[in-house]
Amino acid sequence: MESTSAYVISIITALIFLLLSAFVANAIKFEGGGNPKDPQSRKTWFWILAIINPAVCFLMGYFVFKPDANIMIVNNYVNALSIGTAIGFFIYIALGFIMSKMFANGKIGHWF
Amino acid sequence: MDKLFVIAIGGTGMRCLESFTHLCGIGMFDNREIEVLTLDTDQNNGNKSKVEDLIGLYNRIKTTGATTGGTANANTFFSAKLNLHRFFTNYASPGRETYKNITKISTGTREQQKANKLISDLFLDTSSVQEFSLAHGYRAQTHLGSMLMYHGIVEAARNILKGTAVQAQERELDSFMGKMESAGGNARIFIFGSVFGGTGASSIPVIPKALQDFVQIRSNGNSSIDFSKAKFGSTLLTEYFTFNKPDSKQKSSKAESVIADSSFFPLNSQAALQYYQSDPTVQKCYRSLYHIGWPIESKKIDGNNSSNKTITGGSEQRNPCHVTELLCACAAYDFFTRNDGINNATVDYLYKAVEFKDNSFNFSFADFIGKEHKAGEIFVNKLGAFFSLAHISLTTNSGAVDDAGIKGFITRCESQKLHQYSSITDAECKDINEYFKLFAYTFKDGKFVPGWLYQVRGSVAPGRFLFASKAFPENQTELKRLDVGTIFLDEKHHWPKGGFLNNRYDVFVGKLINTNPKEEQKVNTTKEKFLAHIFNALTKSQNFDIN
Repeated sequence: MESTSAYVISIITALIFLLLSAFVANAIKFEGGGNPKDPQSRKTWFWILAIINPAVCFLMGYFVFKPDANIMIVNNYVNALSIGTAIGFFIYIALGFIMSKMFANGKIGHWF
Repeated sequence: MDKLFVIAIGGTGMRCLESFTHLCGIGMFDNREIEVLTLDTDQNNGNKSKVEDLIGLYNRIKTTGATTGGTANANTFFSAKLNLHRFFTNYASPGRETYKNITKISTGTREQQKANKLISDLFLDTSSVQEFSLAHGYRAQTHLGSMLMYHGIVEAARNILKGTAVQAQERELDSFMGKMESAGGNARIFIFGSVFGGTGASSIPVIPKALQDFVQIRSNGNSSIDFSKAKFGSTLLTEYFTFNKPDSKQKSSKAESVIADSSFFPLNSQAALQYYQSDPTVQKCYRSLYHIGWPIESKKIDGNNSSNKTITGGSEQRNPCHVTELLCACAAYDFFTRNDGINNATVDYLYKAVEFKDNSFNFSFADFIGKEHKAGEIFVNKLGAFFSLAHISLTTNSGAVDDAGIKGFITRCESQKLHQYSSITDAECKDINEYFKLFAYTFKDGKFVPGWLYQVRGSVAPGRFLFASKAFPENQTELKRLDVGTIFLDEKHHWPKGGFLNNRYDVFVGKLINTNPKEEQKVNTTKEKFLAHIFNALTKSQNFDIN
């Protein structure tokens, strides 16, 4: 049960970060000129949030959602949280990649 | 569909042609191939070389590979195909510098010489008009100019018929005339020139007859222009500028003994209008004559020339553009597009008035093109779109200071993974940027240089002119602050605001990404598709739906 909660927390965090990344990408204005910096900014923000995502996911899972139970349950939860954090990281990147290809001509197309 | 011909005569005619070329640039002559003839006595005239360079640039923009000058398109920028032909009456060769030399008054038998002199002296002042240098045109001596222009054209026909020592400019006239002859009764010929100055004023009355005789002579009497079928139109453009009065020092030499004096322009205009109102030849040749003038105090065009020397012509004569020239170009648009009255047997004299308030004219789009068949709306959209694009290229993309300019659009398309325009070369982009600089503005050595539209607007200021005043900033700070999506006076044509996250430019780029050229625009080459694509995105952003 606790393990499931850890996985859910990881997935939800990954999705929230992906949404945040999309918001940031759209908030960055198109620039004119021969060397516009906005595509690189969107890409940079995507990877910054990709790195922050597992850290936030793990810290939040550990300090906010850690079950108040015996050590065995806690250990199982922490193990699941670690795996979930890694899965969340890959989900963020995988969904980011899919969205970037789906909306290749838009702002989030700059992620990949 | 009638075949279109434009003839620009003299310095003012060249400037009207410049405005006409910009109307073609913004896309007002869809699906049309237009034959253009520049006609002058002064082959080095600055206004002439400026417009010829402009048309050359226009054609380079349309050229792709072996298709010189491209093809005609619809609902896009540079939609008309322009074919330039240049003719000038040669007064530079030895023995052709003055009336006296060119007419060979002093040759022949003694009796012939006497008769020649008597008849010349009867019409032309002996020591001045017969002896001034013709290199800079007819200098408001229209009685001399009409005769010499007619002579120049007929002489070209004779040389072509003989086939020996035919000059390059005579071949170009021949090519133009060949196309007019082929068009026959389907030819619509519009002539740009003033009625108050020298070369244009001399030529407008005689040009139809001179061209008719050219065809007759060159074809050895087998062909002609039928004035009952071919449709000629012209502007009756009265005085709208003044310049420095020549001093006695400048007029001291015989070659410079006659110099046009702008203080006589109103009188010249008045006399010319009386002539055009009643002359049977004019009434027989022309279908439409457009009265265009500037009924308030004319502006000085040589304000920067502090000397008392009048610039009579040559490469120095590059006058700023004026709204009356744009009105002349719009008269050509009317003549080329109207169906009513074009086949009348008698000439139509056309005119309209513009709102005049607080000592200024206030121009709206309908004043230029009219409202029939959505013409006014089309003009607003096309001029607005071109001006916006010029600002994006020159201002947003810093093309005015030789940065990316239009290339910025290709970079933007590439970064949005639209690679279909990547084959457009830097040189091709440079040509488009150069056109925008001539159209709107540029910076040279850090100094602001107004282009055609800025100059036209300057001639109207402080009156209202089509776009909001803030659309015409003249320094880097204000230009950087300019919101390109808000250049119109009517807010309904402003680009959408973009909401919480985006600005107007973001919305425009969004439309650029989601728009494509359409089949009905008849664009084939990558460059044509690129320009049509931007045109469509701008049209949508400006809230028009004319496609």
